[in-house]
Amino acid sequence: MKGPDVVVVGGGVIGTAVTYYLAKQGADVLLLERAELGGETSSACDGFVILQSKSPGVHLALALASAELYRGLADELDWDIEYRNCGGLIVIEREEELPAMRTFMAKQQAIGLDVRLLLGDEVRRLEPALAPHIVGATYSPQDSQVNPLQVVLGFAQAARRLGARVRQGVPLQTLRRAGARVSAVVAGGEEIPAGAVVLCTGVFTPELLTPLGVELPLRPRRGQLVVTEPAPPLVHHIFLCARYIAAKYHPELLAAAEDEALRLGVGLALEQTGSGGFLIGSTREFVGWDKRTTPLGIREIVRHATRILPALAQLNAIRTFAGLRPYTPDGLPFLGPVPGWENLYIAAGHEGDGIALAPITGRLMAELILTGRTSFPLTDFAVDRFARGKDQGGQLKVTP
Amino acid sequence: MNDDDVIICRCEEVTKGDIRRAIRSGATTFKAVKKFTRAGMGLCQGRTCRRLILQILAQETGQTPGQLAPGSYRPPTRPVPLAALKGEES
Repeated sequence: MKGPDVVVVGGGVIGTAVTYYLAKQGADVLLLERAELGGETSSACDGFVILQSKSPGVHLALALASAELYRGLADELDWDIEYRNCGGLIVIEREEELPAMRTFMAKQQAIGLDVRLLLGDEVRRLEPALAPHIVGATYSPQDSQVNPLQVVLGFAQAARRLGARVRQGVPLQTLRRAGARVSAVVAGGEEIPAGAVVLCTGVFTPELLTPLGVELPLRPRRGQLVVTEPAPPLVHHIFLCARYIAAKYHPELLAAAEDEALRLGVGLALEQTGSGGFLIGSTREFVGWDKRTTPLGIREIVRHATRILPALAQLNAIRTFAGLRPYTPDGLPFLGPVPGWENLYIAAGHEGDGIALAPITGRLMAELILTGRTSFPLTDFAVDRFARGKDQGGQLKVTP
Repeated sequence: MNDDDVIICRCEEVTKGDIRRAIRSGATTFKAVKKFTRAGMGLCQGRTCRRLILQILAQETGQTPGQLAPGSYRPPTRPVPLAALKGEES
């Protein structure tokens, strides 16, 4: 029997995006989700399509390309993904943070991001709810927000309309190997021949690769969040704080910190969602597979958020939750073929950028798998980039 | 009788019809219904509607409510002012 051209493993925002763009190019695609669509990281995150938080370089360039795809996505998918080009602020609490933010911003401007520094009352005119001690903020009108779950569902239903099959509750068991190729996947007790396989399995990717003798430096990093009751509009932009940037790119600085909030990697990520409630994050902690929230983590998030936006203290929290983000040592995802395999690919490791980068990831993976070429170079995202650095063998670390 | 207009989740204003449509388009667990419709995600966190949703799910999928996973309860389980979560006098 002939199987699908491509089997996509994982039904989060990345897997559904890859499935959609493959189907759009005319491929026969089967998506296998072991539980339900968007059941893990993609439903335990914020909905930021934020460009300002991206490291100036290939990371920001990729995010800019993704943001461009988001503009027309609701129409293209014929699905309300609650896209709002709201603009974003990175709030600066301390004078000492200004020089680093100026440098970060100048590099981003050079890549083409519209971002500017607003000082003191300039930023409070834009967001009057900000506390008096706020020194300023960098502002980009290009930052946007979406509802992550609706993005997942939107990609999935549009892919189905294009003929893709989406199967939930079907865990991947084994990849059948024939020489340098995956010949079939065994999933849900069934052997399915596959032309190519792409793993969009986020934090779970390393455990799928271990049996193949491939080690991927990708680790789960916990983010805790708080949701409040719906409230009248208080803020109009999405918010990060300058410390978030430090927490994201320099975890080693935070691990040694005396301050509890710093050690937990607390950086503000705040949005007032379409339903009026506030989504407030987040910690960035390496605690293995533990997805629980902790009183300490929640306390530090709330202290930090209410210091920046004092009016929040009057609102009620109705829910807390945590998700695991797929962390990589350089903050970039793995996008590309698994070395040593002709038709096995990975698209995973976006950490907190999965929502923002999903459309471009889907599009580039579809190009790569179907044509062998991509419209954006993927060299910096190579699956074996860390192994190459360590031993000049040019090979991924492979156990016999 | 068509009871599609009956509101099941008052906090998020989700009707029985909304929930049935979600189930018929593939949301066959409590968790999935919640994600599709936002039922149970509002102020009361499903205090009233959780059992009603499980009943509708049971009817639509031919199971008993006891066979269905009830979904998770997330702290603080009742509204708590952020001022209290800060752990300081304010």
